[in-house]
Amino acid sequence: MASQGLSYDGCNFFRQRLVLATLSGKRVKIKGVRSREDNPGLRDFEASFIRLLDKVTNGSRIEINQTGTVLFYQPGLLYGGSVEHDCNPQRSIGYYLEALLMLAPFMKTSLKATLRGVTNDPTDPTVDLLKSAAIPLMKQFGIDGEGFDIKVVKRGMAPGGGGEVVFKCPVRRSIKPVQLTEPGKIKRIRGVAYSVRVSPQMANRIVDSARSVLNQFLPDIYIYTDHMKGANSGKSPGFGLTLVAETLNGCFLSAEMSSTPQGQGDPVLPEDLGRNCAKLLLEEVHRGGCVDSSNQSLALLLMTLGQQDVSKVLLGPLSPYTIEFLRHIRDFFQIMFKIEVQKPLEDERKGGDKVLMTCLGVGYSNINKSIK
Amino acid sequence: TKRRKQHQQKHSGPKAEKKKAKKQRGSAEEDERKRNPKAFAVQSATRMAKTFHRAQDIKTRKHHIPLVDRTPLKPPPIVIVVVGPPKVGKSTLIRCLIKNFTRQKLGDICGPVTIVSGKKHRLTFVECNNDINTMIDLAKVADLVLMLIDASFGFEMETFEFLNICQVHGFPRIMGVLTHLDSFKNNKTLRKTKKNLKHRFWTEVYQGAKLFYLSGMVYGEYQTQEVKNLGRFISVMKFRPLVWQTSHPYVLVDRMEDLTDPDKIRTDPKCDRTVSLYGYLRGTHLKNKGQVHIAGVGDFQVSDVNFLPDPCPLPDAQKKRALNEKERLLYAPMAGVGGVVYDKDAVYIDLPASHVNQQQEVRPTTELVQSLIDTHATLDAKMAASKVSLFSGSATLDPTDISDEQEGLREKSVWDPKTQRERRKVLFTEEEEDEEDEDASGSSDDEADESVEEEDQNEDDLSTFLKEARLESTKATAGGGPPVKKQKLEEKEGEGGETEELAFADSEDELENSSEESESEGEAGRARDSGHCSEEEEEEEESDDEEEEDDDEDSEDESMEEEGSAADDMAKSESEEEAEQGMCMIRFSLNSCSDLLWKEGLQQKASEAFLRQQEAAPNLRKLVYGSGILRLQLHVHTHLQYSEEEEEELGGLFRVSRPQKSKKFQANARDCSRFNPDSSHNWDLEEMLNSIRDCFVTGKWEEGQDAATLLKEDEELYGDFEDLETGEIHKDQTGQQDEAEVDDEEVQKNKRLEKKRRLKERFDAEYDDGDATYFDDLKEEMQKQAELNRAEFEDVDDETRVQYEGFRPGMYVRLEISPLPCEFVTNFDPHYPVVLGGLGSNEGNVGYLQMRLKKHRWYERILKTRDPLILSLGWRRFQTIPLYHIEDHNGRHRLLKYTPQHMHCGASIWGPITPQGTGFLAVQSVAGTKVNFRIAATGVILDLDKSVTIVKKLKLIGYPYKIFKNTCFIKGMFSTVLEVAKFEGASVRTVSGIRGQIKKALSTPPGAYRATFEDRLLMSDIVFLRSWYPVSVPQLYNPVTSLLLPVGQKDSWSGMRTLGQLKHDLGIRNKPNTDSLYKPISRAQRHFNPLHIPNELQKALPFKSKPKQQQRKGKTPKDLQRPSVIREPHERKVMALLHALSTVKNYKRNKAHTLQHAKHKGFLQQKKKEEEAKLKRQKEAQKKLYRVMGQLDKKKQRSSLKGASQDD
Repeated sequence: MASQGLSYDGCNFFRQRLVLATLSGKRVKIKGVRSREDNPGLRDFEASFIRLLDKVTNGSRIEINQTGTVLFYQPGLLYGGSVEHDCNPQRSIGYYLEALLMLAPFMKTSLKATLRGVTNDPTDPTVDLLKSAAIPLMKQFGIDGEGFDIKVVKRGMAPGGGGEVVFKCPVRRSIKPVQLTEPGKIKRIRGVAYSVRVSPQMANRIVDSARSVLNQFLPDIYIYTDHMKGANSGKSPGFGLTLVAETLNGCFLSAEMSSTPQGQGDPVLPEDLGRNCAKLLLEEVHRGGCVDSSNQSLALLLMTLGQQDVSKVLLGPLSPYTIEFLRHIRDFFQIMFKIEVQKPLEDERKGGDKVLMTCLGVGYSNINKSIK
Repeated sequence: TKRRKQHQQKHSGPKAEKKKAKKQRGSAEEDERKRNPKAFAVQSATRMAKTFHRAQDIKTRKHHIPLVDRTPLKPPPIVIVVVGPPKVGKSTLIRCLIKNFTRQKLGDICGPVTIVSGKKHRLTFVECNNDINTMIDLAKVADLVLMLIDASFGFEMETFEFLNICQVHGFPRIMGVLTHLDSFKNNKTLRKTKKNLKHRFWTEVYQGAKLFYLSGMVYGEYQTQEVKNLGRFISVMKFRPLVWQTSHPYVLVDRMEDLTDPDKIRTDPKCDRTVSLYGYLRGTHLKNKGQVHIAGVGDFQVSDVNFLPDPCPLPDAQKKRALNEKERLLYAPMAGVGGVVYDKDAVYIDLPASHVNQQQEVRPTTELVQSLIDTHATLDAKMAASKVSLFSGSATLDPTDISDEQEGLREKSVWDPKTQRERRKVLFTEEEEDEEDEDASGSSDDEADESVEEEDQNEDDLSTFLKEARLESTKATAGGGPPVKKQKLEEKEGEGGETEELAFADSEDELENSSEESESEGEAGRARDSGHCSEEEEEEEESDDEEEEDDDEDSEDESMEEEGSAADDMAKSESEEEAEQGMCMIRFSLNSCSDLLWKEGLQQKASEAFLRQQEAAPNLRKLVYGSGILRLQLHVHTHLQYSEEEEEELGGLFRVSRPQKSKKFQANARDCSRFNPDSSHNWDLEEMLNSIRDCFVTGKWEEGQDAATLLKEDEELYGDFEDLETGEIHKDQTGQQDEAEVDDEEVQKNKRLEKKRRLKERFDAEYDDGDATYFDDLKEEMQKQAELNRAEFEDVDDETRVQYEGFRPGMYVRLEISPLPCEFVTNFDPHYPVVLGGLGSNEGNVGYLQMRLKKHRWYERILKTRDPLILSLGWRRFQTIPLYHIEDHNGRHRLLKYTPQHMHCGASIWGPITPQGTGFLAVQSVAGTKVNFRIAATGVILDLDKSVTIVKKLKLIGYPYKIFKNTCFIKGMFSTVLEVAKFEGASVRTVSGIRGQIKKALSTPPGAYRATFEDRLLMSDIVFLRSWYPVSVPQLYNPVTSLLLPVGQKDSWSGMRTLGQLKHDLGIRNKPNTDSLYKPISRAQRHFNPLHIPNELQKALPFKSKPKQQQRKGKTPKDLQRPSVIREPHERKVMALLHALSTVKNYKRNKAHTLQHAKHKGFLQQKKKEEEAKLKRQKEAQKKLYRVMGQLDKKKQRSSLKGASQDD
């Protein structure tokens, strides 16, 4: 069979490539992974990611050369089921969970993944953010069912980790097309201020400062404080804030910020963190759209994998990650998006330029789900 | 007579009132309900619920799941497949239909023929020959099947095979056509046959399926009127969407060109070919560079797709009723009819046969090269073809083929002298007798004709052969196969710099080349390739312009990329864009100066359009995808096997020239999805805060949604109302105002209309919502989606649209496929359809498939596990090795040796990944027609996996060698201690059913173990351990490459042989196990010793059980028998007297008895009467008594009441 594969250079956008390869069934070869660096080859977190991919699939073939600079991946079928994985603490669980969110609806059996590692760190989208923004987004695409949830069992901050997250997702045969062109007005802001292995007062201080910024716009703000103790508090101290703005049309915009990991960089005052996080949310609102910036690629993927109907989503400015994702989607699924910029009107006070993404789904059906 | 008084209707008074009231009350039914509410009351709640449920069930059952209507606005021609056994009249029918629609005559029906049959109808006719491969392929693409049946002969096996193939691959519309009806001399038999055939056809398709009759031939054609009717039926037919067809793109190829470099073919005639295939795209959108399967060849990746102008366009929208002669187009390139054919880089002009001389003038003068090309393409094919025509009738009747016993369909091989072939007649058990009768009657007159006919036939054959030979020779001189191919006007532009260009394009090209020297030549060439070429110069010009624009965009894009990564700030890129725009303008003006005058307008227009586009979409698309088409070309999907080649890498995405270091940095950057904000926004500033104020509910709302305006609207809508309680009338404010001014009036009118419209809308919404069900909502949603799908890309030009949504169905496309085996070209036979099916994203891979399978009830043998089987699944036909299994109640998949007779079973194969729910059919072989009914099994895909879970039973046997009470030492089951350790705790059993458990391994002998049992074993017992052993499915996936076989042998593909076939062919016979042989059973006569009971025991036994000493009484001997008594006459008299006396006595006694009985009865009656009288008397007495008592009571009461009142 003349099944063709794709070849890429460098380990950038590593997850995108593997995830799309798995979904499209195309082989992928990634060459020159940090080949010029002193420490060549795949990092531990990437290896951990590959291992996770191996756990949720059946029959996939992964070949890595001795130095780890060349990776060949032949995807198998997504199996799902109960999966436990110890994520490498170099990256937070969000790194792994983002990929799982993309794969989970297309498994053979519904996925129940228990991921252990760092739940919150400053680089990746945290588990709380994905829980509050990605899950409602996926529900818009018809992925819903009992137990569709991300649950933070234990919280583990950056360097040490020790957190635990349970992600459950039902499977779908096909994805609904969506028309998310009107984000609507923001009606409420919710959030979680978490703190582990520090004074519980920290969370309250964060809440106060964040509210001080956001109260200029909206009275309906509620920020939960989440202080985990004992065994549930992981191995490192830290605190942070996740804010989510919900609009009238059920769109979620989110922002987050966590304290710098212990022993890396200057410590942050909780007040500053709260204020800055609130400003990040305002920035996110300024960007606007129906999907927040870190979930753009998830929305675009689900649009691509929809039935052969037109889907539309209004986004804020495309992030570099999303742009690369669009290119990858074209490589793997031969789908191009129609990209239209919507400039704000003269007297409108709704933030910056928006981008209307339109595409025709590929008519993807979950070939893993069995019929009995 | 006296005049009667006229009736006067009452207008007042009670009668009139009554009538009025009745009239007002309305319908009679309601009146009934009111008058007699009990009759309409709910009698039983359960019954009511039941009737309601039933009504709802019936209502809901009529619903189909609503689907989004994805049919394109300009649908592709309808594929009509004409099926039937040979010599039934398929070609004649197609010819007649074509003549009916287009008034044109077509000689040989070669490949698909597309015609315009109406203002909105196009048809593609395909003839399906007798090969099962062709039948399978065409069943998958057919919209309508015309199933020709020879009425004079009856059903043939092919008909039923085709029907069953259709059933598996989605059921297209099927219309039966009865031919050869003129052979019936007797009207009654004709009617009877028609009826029989019709009913049988109905049971197979559906009750009431259309069966068309073509009664006779006139000058070798069917009657015009009948053909016309058939044509009408075809054009009004509605088609249902089939699941597989609507989810996959496919092309029924109607033209094929070999694009391989002639030089390469000359050096290596067996080299892989580059071929372009043409046809209407059907099904769904086809993506460029996607994977396709060519049925009968294999899987390939499309190297390029273009769309071409429709060769058979529908007439433009006009109001007239009929098509004129010019619009009745006919397109059949394989049959050599097509007029002017456009290609990407050439125009082919087809000239009719009379223009052969002119044709040669057009051809290039280099005759040597030309002859080389021509001979290569066709010599082999011609050789093979001529062979066929010589030896086609050499098959002989095989008397062994006639089968004896079968339940369903039965085949009878009948030698047909007319067609010179064996026909596979279908026999139905109930019909058989009739059949034979008719045969007997019919055969006599048949035979009379036969001899004459045969002679004719021979003559005919000879003449046709001569004709064919002549035709072929002319063809050979004309050069090439059926599609008369002209030399291409241009070579591929990309191959060399010094390509031939049209004169007017030259100047621009130079400019272009000079402007972008950085780009390599090859890329530029490839970029130019993508624009499709058209005949008109204007279009060419325009497309060139576009290309130039694209190139400009690209160069600017590159400059952008050089300056920063793709993730650059948007604002920055925009400013750059604008600068570039200016440059573009300058260039345009330059161009227009140098160009010819008549093109100026176009240039202007193009530049304007470009500017408009620039303004509309600020190049985000370019930022993301690069400049449209060019980028797509640039980005070559590298095959893994070719990835090592330098050239490919140069074309890849990440090979854009950049400083080495920055590229590395980019390639190995951190993989993070978070979009870190640029610090440009200072959220402490009030104006920044104000810029997003309206994003919150507390901000300003839009005109339409603002609460204040909404309230006002409501007021307007419901402004006028009358307060019923007070009788006060509130008037709308606007109504009271004086509308004096004329301008105002217009405005007011509009406003009123608007208000009315809104009111109506609201009312409609409310009213419809009242009984809108879930189903209605769903339907509406689908409708909306369909509208959106249609509208979204409508205003985009086709070039761009193709990139967004792929090539849409209805387009005439040209697919370039690059490494095709040379046999595809050299052995090309236009009589065999080439079906090119698109594959879904995962469908190019192979894996294990689990399916549900059932042996076809008309297939006479059961199927054996591990016997190779040819499956038709999805687009593919392939040979594979299935394992049959069945699911046990505990979910275990147990291997079966054979398929069950009449039951479904599971089957696992190694094959192409195909979506679940797809149907498949299996045949044992595709070569020839040796078997009765060729479809062996049908089924459906259930599950896909990369591993299998089939197990087979394995019994390990051991023997006890030492037996204690319940413990036993057993040997012979395992060979090492380790093996035993694995099975510790496993349960074992003896043949006699004593259960036990493995306890522990023994050191000697190796493999022996200790086991405990529930009872004591014997040394002769055999112990066995029942276990399950996983079976692996053999990984055989062997596509049926029937199209690659030489012409004339395409129906002789044979793959892997079954074990049985191999043994048969090689003459190997297994020596049977002597124990399994059947021998005559000889049983020794058994005799039993007499039972001896000891004396002691005998004594103790009861009499019943004691052995009886006495012999059974035999017949009493004569001497012991008592003699019969013979009486004297006197004695006889005495006896007679006595007898008479006794009779009299008996009679008297009886009489007395009945008398006594009657007397007693009377007595009882009397007694009863007396009793009743007595009772009556008593009752009366009691009544009297009670009355008296009652009176007394009353009196007492009254007196007491009086007493009380007196007290008051």
